[in-house]
Amino acid sequence: MSPAGHPRVDTIAAEARAAIERTESSADLEALRVRFLGRQGELTQLLRSLGSLPADERPVVGAAANEAKRVLEALLESRLGEAAERERRRQRAQSRLDLTLPGRRPARGGIHPLTRVHDEIVSIFGGLGFSVAEGPEIETDYYNFEALNIPKDHPARDMQDTFYLSESALLRTHTSPVQIRTMQAAKGRTPLKLVVPGRVYRRDVPDASHSPVFHQVEGLAVDHGITMADLKGTLELFAREMFGPRSKIRFRPSFFPFTEPSAEVDVLCFLCGGAGCRVCKQSGWLEILGCGMVHPRVLENGGYDPEEVTGWAFGMGIDRITILKYGIDDIRLFLENDLRFLRQFA
Amino acid sequence: MKIPYGWVRELVDVDLTAEQAADRLINAGVEVASVTPVAPDLRGVVVGEIETIEREVGDSHGHRVLLCRVSTGRARYSVVCGAPNTAVGARAAFAPPGATLPGGRAIGIAKIRGVESHGMLCSERELGLGEEHEGGLLLLDAGAPLGADLVAHLGLDDHVLEIEITPNRPDCLSVLGVARELSALTGGRLRPPKIALRESRESARALARIRVEAPDLCPRYTLRVISGLKVAPSPAWMAARLRACGLRPISNVVDVTNYVLWELGHPLHAFDAAGVTDATIVVRRAAAGERFTTLDGQARTLDASMLVIADPQRAIGLAGVMGGQNSEVSAGTTRVLLESAYFDPGSIRRTSRTLGLRTDAAYRFERGADIEGLLDANDRAAQLMAELAGGTVARGMLDAYPRRRKPVRVRLRMERVERVLGVVPRRAHARRILTGLGLAVRERGAILDVEVPSFRRDLAMEDDLAEEIIRVWGYDKIPSTLPGGQTVEVARESDRLRQEGLLRRVLAGVGLMEAVASSFTDRARSGALGVAEPLALLNPLSQDAAYLRAHPLDGILGVVAVNTRRQEGDVRVFEIGKTYQSSTGGDTATSEPRWVALAVSGARGELSWRDGGGAVDVYDAKGLAEHALAALGVTTSTRTGGALGGFEPDCHASLLTAAGEVVAEFGEVAASTRAALGIDAPVFAAAVRLDPLPRARTFERYQALPRFPSVARDMAFLVPDPGPSAAAVETAIRREAGPLLREVVVFDVFRLPDGQRSVAWRLTFQADDRTLTDEEINTVHGRVAARVGSELGLTLRGS
Repeated sequence: MSPAGHPRVDTIAAEARAAIERTESSADLEALRVRFLGRQGELTQLLRSLGSLPADERPVVGAAANEAKRVLEALLESRLGEAAERERRRQRAQSRLDLTLPGRRPARGGIHPLTRVHDEIVSIFGGLGFSVAEGPEIETDYYNFEALNIPKDHPARDMQDTFYLSESALLRTHTSPVQIRTMQAAKGRTPLKLVVPGRVYRRDVPDASHSPVFHQVEGLAVDHGITMADLKGTLELFAREMFGPRSKIRFRPSFFPFTEPSAEVDVLCFLCGGAGCRVCKQSGWLEILGCGMVHPRVLENGGYDPEEVTGWAFGMGIDRITILKYGIDDIRLFLENDLRFLRQFA
Repeated sequence: MKIPYGWVRELVDVDLTAEQAADRLINAGVEVASVTPVAPDLRGVVVGEIETIEREVGDSHGHRVLLCRVSTGRARYSVVCGAPNTAVGARAAFAPPGATLPGGRAIGIAKIRGVESHGMLCSERELGLGEEHEGGLLLLDAGAPLGADLVAHLGLDDHVLEIEITPNRPDCLSVLGVARELSALTGGRLRPPKIALRESRESARALARIRVEAPDLCPRYTLRVISGLKVAPSPAWMAARLRACGLRPISNVVDVTNYVLWELGHPLHAFDAAGVTDATIVVRRAAAGERFTTLDGQARTLDASMLVIADPQRAIGLAGVMGGQNSEVSAGTTRVLLESAYFDPGSIRRTSRTLGLRTDAAYRFERGADIEGLLDANDRAAQLMAELAGGTVARGMLDAYPRRRKPVRVRLRMERVERVLGVVPRRAHARRILTGLGLAVRERGAILDVEVPSFRRDLAMEDDLAEEIIRVWGYDKIPSTLPGGQTVEVARESDRLRQEGLLRRVLAGVGLMEAVASSFTDRARSGALGVAEPLALLNPLSQDAAYLRAHPLDGILGVVAVNTRRQEGDVRVFEIGKTYQSSTGGDTATSEPRWVALAVSGARGELSWRDGGGAVDVYDAKGLAEHALAALGVTTSTRTGGALGGFEPDCHASLLTAAGEVVAEFGEVAASTRAALGIDAPVFAAAVRLDPLPRARTFERYQALPRFPSVARDMAFLVPDPGPSAAAVETAIRREAGPLLREVVVFDVFRLPDGQRSVAWRLTFQADDRTLTDEEINTVHGRVAARVGSELGLTLRGS
């Protein structure tokens, strides 16, 4: 405050300043603003009464009063800020939050475990350059069997007990019919690299390890100069992606009418590392898929010349791999959809 | 098929344990399901002789219980025995005190009917060797050495391989076949059984005739005639061997046919010549409706596709499947006609399936028998019948074989082998492998000329031989490489998978759990959903899975039912799946439309201390359907009612695209439908058709952000009940408000005491070129109120 003020201004200013500095609550501070700086306030009154002062005093008093008003306002703002902060703290202290109460969560959704594994398989092969193809679940005898080198009255049909809708229509027992459909659609084009995920059906009485409705992913490659060694390398890569970098696979001779040679593929049991456990039935290996070189007759049925190109194919059960991956002990859990089961994968 | 490993080792020189042999076979593609000891836990049982029967001590199940004196050569025991075949002089399996029977049963001194029995005379079942028990003791040959260990004497110190072949390898369905495979795998010498047949001077031609009337179904039929037979039990060694194979010994003549079936793999049948009129075998198709009683005593009705073995008057056998009762070998049989034939595999398979009669013979014939090897089988069986049943084999064999099999020759290029496998053994090695499998090989430069024997019907082309080579050489010899050729296109996920994946993420993201439900349904559930004629399976496993689902909510409502039954009342689930229906197009005249089905029941959100979110209602189902559609960039309008069954008629509506296509239906699931499914609580559901929808949301050019502020105005209308729908009000508002109206949304609905509802709308206005003035907005607002008033009779609340 200006020492060269005016005695009346100084008196009011000193009084106001003392009052502001004494006062703690924001309400009382607001009252002081009214008392000193408000329309009827003491300093305002003084400024208003300048006209009654001698002319030579007016500028001095006026300047002093304005200065005092500015200073007091600044002080008041600062004190009000302090008071507001004090009061906010006091108020929060009174209504303390219990942060250990549960948060307000949105409802939790989730993806079915079969879908998760399906997506994983498709994406691994996508990374290897395999496109996705699909086909109908209600198939003809021709696509499901005949074109795949499984003639009528052949014991190979026992390998896949079939649901029929009519003499000629059936529920596909594997995704392999899409091999033929896609090859025919490709009209001899190479290379062909695709995976076919889908639902398949076999007339197996349901139990912990059999479901008449299950899911497969089929793979097919047709090109000039591809061999069984390429098939093996591709599946090794897949196994490492799917089951971990230390995964090992082995090929065992087998029989499928639509491949020659044919193989069953086992992956080293990822639970026991091959030492033998309950899941791998002490063998150290888990059977995960069947595969082979596309049978020349099947290539012909698909519109390719088996002297020109070779092909390989594989098929794996999504349900089976999901069971192995998550240690699920009953395949029926998948289609039952108990929420307590599904939530474990959400 | 059970194959005793000890028998295999008689036919091949290998130095492997049963387990090791099984491993080698498995790694060569011959599945061995199990390896089990023939006589587990059998210790101390010996050959004993019943020297005398001392006295009767009682009666059991109608048999006398006898106290016998049993000798083991070194010692004598008093043994109580109630077996019906107890006889003085019989040699039988005897467990003296200290012996152990299967299951760890220790034999000691026991009191039976108050009499001490020192040890026990045993039946087959008590020894764990078979099922036979009622017939009495396991009797041994009179020449069995007294006191000899039974396990050693009967060759029970052995393991049984349970072989499960793939359909292409019927040649492995025999001891010889497995031995041949092991010979190829190990290089061990194969020693097929020596067939040494002594024939009489009498010609078989004079004793029997064959007339094949259906050579298409029976390409080859042979007969031998064996006379002077004495039917009796088989010797103990053969009976033990058959039991180890899981067969029941019957009599020497019948057992020989089974023995040879196991040994060489070819099914044989012996007809009692006394049952064959004119000693003439006629191979013909059955007459439609012909009745025939098979060996198992079942009377069967045949059809004209089936092949029978007959005499000039009647059928005496169902070819390749089962013999007939009328020509069965019995105790009085002295002469048999011994059949060894080849039948058409498809015909046998159809007959066997049609009659539900699966026999060992049919199993082999339908996989393809050995049309040349059947001669050896016939000779071998005749030899054994002569040896074991005292028969005389007539000279020569009748052989009806009009069209001889053409030899199968394959030109194998080693270069082709490498092209398929990516690796190839040396030519000499490949040749050794093929020779080891019984194939005749001639080398011609880089080419092997291979002749395939008649027992390998599965080998017909180069790639078949490539598999044989790598199978024996070892699949582990195949290196791991990656295909070199790159596809010219980027690998594409299918559009449909992409669409489904997007919706899955979107719906899981708003709290729905994905379900994967069965495609099958039953009549009741279909009916409850208003489906009259679902596609039916011809051969369902059970009635509750006899149809294919035709209603998109079929699966998901089943999921709601399962969970509410299990006290999971708050269900918020969706499924992306198909329905199945008849259609005019396609190979099968069916179509498989894809859907998102969703259902909600119970609470809207997780249970919470703050607010539970309340119970779900039909607007949840609608909103979720709209949310899914919006994710694909589809906006819709609502029309009440719809085509799907299963909804409450007054709470069911459809969502339409701008083009007027129905892409979804939603509503409250009808109480009757819920009752049929066993769901008590209200369920709200929606079904969205995926096929007509875009596969993904496409984004057009961006629009510049508005440069001038928007202005919101609220209007609450009083709506009587019944009164105009919200959709009608919205249409009126939009029509009147013109281009300045950018958004219109209902934000509040409540019921007033007088029964009317207050429905509040927020209208947002904006212009691209200026800040709107209050006057402009007020004018529009007034016009809108007037239009809604005049068109729909609604007034603004508070006016």
